[in-house]
Amino acid sequence: MRNLRTVLTRKIFNSLITIFLVLILNFFLFRVMPGNPLQFIVPQNPEIPDEFKDKIIEKYGLDEPLHIQFFTYMSRTLQFDFGDSFIYSGTPAMDYVMSKMVYTLILTGTSSIFMVVIGMLIGIISAWKRGSLFDTGSLSFSLFFYAMPTFWFALMLIVVFSTGLKWLPSDSALTYGEQLELTWSCFVDLLRHLILPVISLTVGSIAAFSIIMRGSLIDVMTEEYITTARAKGLSEGRVLKDHAVPNAMLPMVALIAIDLAFVVGGAFQTEVVFNYPGIGYATIEATLKQDYPILQAAFFLIAVVVIAANLVADLLMVYLDPRVKME
Amino acid sequence: MIIMKSTPVESKSHGPVEHGRFGMSEPTVEKLKLYKKKVTQTWRVYRKNWMGMLGLGILTFFLAMAVFAPQIVWMLSVIGGWDHAYDPFEQVSTTRLVTPPSPEHWLGTDIRGYDILTRVIYGSRVSLEIGLVATIVSMGLGTAVGLLSGFWAGWRDEVMMRITDVFLVLPWLVLMIVFAAVLPGGASVGKVVFVIGITGWSSTARIVRAQVFSLKERAFIERARAIGAGDYYIVRKHIFPNVFPLVFANSILTVALSILSESTLSYIGLGPMANQVVTWGNMLQDADDGKAILNGLYLWILVPGMCIVFLVLAFTFIGYAMDEIYNPKLRKR
Repeated sequence: MRNLRTVLTRKIFNSLITIFLVLILNFFLFRVMPGNPLQFIVPQNPEIPDEFKDKIIEKYGLDEPLHIQFFTYMSRTLQFDFGDSFIYSGTPAMDYVMSKMVYTLILTGTSSIFMVVIGMLIGIISAWKRGSLFDTGSLSFSLFFYAMPTFWFALMLIVVFSTGLKWLPSDSALTYGEQLELTWSCFVDLLRHLILPVISLTVGSIAAFSIIMRGSLIDVMTEEYITTARAKGLSEGRVLKDHAVPNAMLPMVALIAIDLAFVVGGAFQTEVVFNYPGIGYATIEATLKQDYPILQAAFFLIAVVVIAANLVADLLMVYLDPRVKME
Repeated sequence: MIIMKSTPVESKSHGPVEHGRFGMSEPTVEKLKLYKKKVTQTWRVYRKNWMGMLGLGILTFFLAMAVFAPQIVWMLSVIGGWDHAYDPFEQVSTTRLVTPPSPEHWLGTDIRGYDILTRVIYGSRVSLEIGLVATIVSMGLGTAVGLLSGFWAGWRDEVMMRITDVFLVLPWLVLMIVFAAVLPGGASVGKVVFVIGITGWSSTARIVRAQVFSLKERAFIERARAIGAGDYYIVRKHIFPNVFPLVFANSILTVALSILSESTLSYIGLGPMANQVVTWGNMLQDADDGKAILNGLYLWILVPGMCIVFLVLAFTFIGYAMDEIYNPKLRKR
């Protein structure tokens, strides 16, 4: 058990270091870049009075030497203070980004579930019927969608299902003017707006899961305990369900964590195409309008969430796979 | 991406490339012969892989398109009876900028009055260019970090791996957006290449490092060390040649990802300007600005998009085939 504790401590420690490095990166990217570093923190709009700019410079100690600035930055960051948004004046950047996070979590959460389940099913059938028409067919089909830019697939979905068949809405997360509430009609509205974004996000990632699941299952099927199970007289279906699949699922847990970074990247594109009010849409809008406090807050928040999710997956792996503890 | 990077640590099959006895090089002619034999062997296996061959076919098509773009446009102008071969930056439609497909402009004209078909053909050039150069940047960086990290081990490895983690864990698009936003200067091809390269090296570094760790334990490295070979000599002469096939197989998938990244960056408005550089990505951005969907100009979106899909698919297929060859674990049993 001492080994287990060492493994866990090490993983948590590494995650903390990664977050710390992200903080350093965030600091340097926005303050030390050539050009005028002040432009990333102080709004450059000429209509804004100088005294207001001076106030911000003083608040973040931007006239101080770099190492003092770093400490000010760190203490502000630990209080989740990235300054106020330039374009939505008066709104703290962190509050704004947090309010957008809900929609992104709904979007990425739903499609993560779908891509894992569908990918695993395809992987299992492909491995089981190796070399069959289903195997080659599903592989080329999923690679085709994997090769597709997420934003372009989203555009195609709009062409077919929104403007063409007029089945589903293509804009925002709720009908215009509605608020997020706990009512049945709101839930239905949310679902209708969610369908196309989720499809666009899910389909492209299925290949990643099905290919790994297929490979993993083929590997497991050559293990001796599978031969034993067969020798006991279990049916092929039982062997698959009780012995092969549970063991083949281990790499999937790690994959879900790694894939999270790609799901977030895809979510950014989906949100832009569908004007979905999530964190990706907010980040890209902030980038194009040079709203740097929001960009910093979003970068920080996404980094922390993704690193935390990776840590959870790592810990889950330790729990699920006894071999990791023995290392 | 994650997809095919299947357990590189265990791919111990391709035997160590040994350079004669006592770690010395054979005469160059001998080496070339050996190399040629290896290439022929790989090709013999590759030829039987339908995916790899299909990918190679599609890639050849786009390469020809990129190299002979002016000639192709000229040929089309003769066939279509246009009054001259268009230039991708030529305003061919003056009275109305956006026009639907017509006999003179088979795919219509875009928001700047440019001929869309001409731009699709020329667009293959920048897509391939960005894909290849960005891949060289990220593979070079990743291989260097992986080699050093794996060979040094200890605290220097630890430091480099923590930095690699940052780039590995953070969503690629988020990193790219932040880099593209804070780097000075406007959007240019060079900047896009830099941004894609700097965000894409981390998984290569991991794979190379793992491979170096497994190589280090093998007898031929120990032998080289025993007769007094230095660290850098061993890395250069023994470790790198053994890691290279893996890096090469991976880099093909990286090209696919780089092309996807370019189109995404261009689409969200962080790529090169459409009046300076033609890319399929910024054509799609223009189509969005021109409300192509609302106006029913579907070809404007469909054709550049399909070009991206098929070019990326070509590299994915080739990469997948290479992975099957270099990772015999995946070969059908």
